[in-house]
Amino acid sequence: MNPSASLLEGLTVRRFLAVTVLCAAAALAVVRLFYNTYWDLLVSALCVGYTSMLLFTAAGNLRQRAVPREAMQVLAVIVGSFLGTVLAGIVKGRDVSMMFHERLSGVMITMGLGIGVGCVVVAGLILREKHARDQARILRAEAERHQLEKNVLEARLALMQAQVEPHFLFNTLANVQHLVETDPPGAARVLESLIRYLRAALPQMREASTNLGRELDMARAFLEIHQVRMGSRLDFAIDVPETLKVRAFPPMMLISLVENAVKHGVDPCCECSSIVIRAREDGGRLRVSVADTGDGIRPKTGGGLGLANIRERLKALYGSAAHLVLEENAPHGVVASIEVPA
Amino acid sequence: MNRVSAVIADRGRVSAVIADDEPLLRAQLRTRLARLWPELRVVHEMPDGRDVDGVIGAHAPSLFFLDIHMPGVNGLEAARAIGGRAHVVFVTAFDEYAVEAFERGAVDYVLKPFDEERLAVTVGRLKERLGVRPPDFESLVESLAERLSPRGSQHLRWIKASVGSNVRLIPVEEILFFQSDEKYTRVVTGEGEALIRKPIRELLAELDPARFWQIHRATIVNVDRIASVRRGLKDQAEISLRDHAETLVVSRAFVHLFKQM
Repeated sequence: MNPSASLLEGLTVRRFLAVTVLCAAAALAVVRLFYNTYWDLLVSALCVGYTSMLLFTAAGNLRQRAVPREAMQVLAVIVGSFLGTVLAGIVKGRDVSMMFHERLSGVMITMGLGIGVGCVVVAGLILREKHARDQARILRAEAERHQLEKNVLEARLALMQAQVEPHFLFNTLANVQHLVETDPPGAARVLESLIRYLRAALPQMREASTNLGRELDMARAFLEIHQVRMGSRLDFAIDVPETLKVRAFPPMMLISLVENAVKHGVDPCCECSSIVIRAREDGGRLRVSVADTGDGIRPKTGGGLGLANIRERLKALYGSAAHLVLEENAPHGVVASIEVPA
Repeated sequence: MNRVSAVIADRGRVSAVIADDEPLLRAQLRTRLARLWPELRVVHEMPDGRDVDGVIGAHAPSLFFLDIHMPGVNGLEAARAIGGRAHVVFVTAFDEYAVEAFERGAVDYVLKPFDEERLAVTVGRLKERLGVRPPDFESLVESLAERLSPRGSQHLRWIKASVGSNVRLIPVEEILFFQSDEKYTRVVTGEGEALIRKPIRELLAELDPARFWQIHRATIVNVDRIASVRRGLKDQAEISLRDHAETLVVSRAFVHLFKQM
């Protein structure tokens, strides 16, 4: 990859042949207007044509931002026509200084023709390139749209497949089994929580649209179950104004954050930890956060598919208007927040 | 006569330890065992697998019931620590891999919620086995531990960066590139950027080299986010990113990374 190669990028055999044919045609077109022979005119045309072609190609590949590329290319053709005309004179063995006196009119005509034909060609090329660029942009936009559609579908599929973890279900049932014998009212309470959780969590039971209140009920049921199971190790609070509970909120995202808080925050921690779910509206944005006081995230442990899935779904639903942010909780633990347009 | 049977002979009763992080499930197993195996003495209960040595030293139990999923030291790690000094029964709520491995390895296990009949079978088997030396199933435990909790990757998965007064946790997959000057390193994501103090050199040693490539003395790029690479001036190349306007320079020393494959 050397600079001269990259400057002449696009100088193809095809371009070379096209310029040659064009020059031959131009010389043929004007041969009746001059005393010169066709071959004489052809040499001039080719000199002007090739020089302009070289400069035009280089101008197109030049990496500079000061002058628009198209202007550079037109300039290249003008300079090319001038230099080409001089070159033609040299090739034909004429005195260069003479060219700008006695032969000035001929020189001017050659240059003028070069510039005229060159500019038409350049305009054509620029238009073609612009068309190709537009076409590429359209294709890219289309590809992006397809990708987005695919993401939406995948997110929907993941949501459908998100299921109740058997481990959670069986452990909870084992607790109920014990409570039935030792504390029947306690068993009934855990069962009630489990039923509320399953109603929201089983894909077949899920309602098409949901609001923050319903998602909170599900999270509360989940946490109540864990509180029974973990005993004194888990403490939780929900701090959400009544008015926000009727707000639309995407399904299964809050529970995902709560599950993460239990799994990565509370569970690995042998001491007591607490989880706080909070929702606030601020400047037209609804922010729902789940904070835990667990061990926090270790830099080298996996972030989990859950979070990536939430990000994908937020992007599919709201574009760049929604965010999932993870922050450290003080003095320890993690705060995960979802922010959506209210 | 090995030590285990010596203990049995001494006391005439079998002693057991129950390890489960859920207090109700420990109580449940204790009650069930009391019904099915009245001679068994549960001498100790623990919420995780820590301090197996201390427990063995203090109680010399002939039997451990170990829940697989426990915080701190889990059941498999505890079994490894026990290392044949006592019989082990694994307790699990649902673990496809574990159950499959246990069946193959003829290891005793019980499923939660407990099935009284199944637990009785396990008890019967244990009574027969107590006279013989506990099997050492190191390799089984080893392979299971690997499958159930794959070791954390050696690479950085999260970047901690200060944003205002908060510490933001950024998953590395979201990062487009890192770029440093003398003092800070910029962490640029699709949604914004943050500054960290860790220099490029240190990041490079910790990031997954399959995903993060150094392309310049001061730049590391997430190759998953590259849209295109163009040749540039002076033997350099220029990278465009997906969903980001900024372009990155690939310096001469790293251009070979993008040569056609």
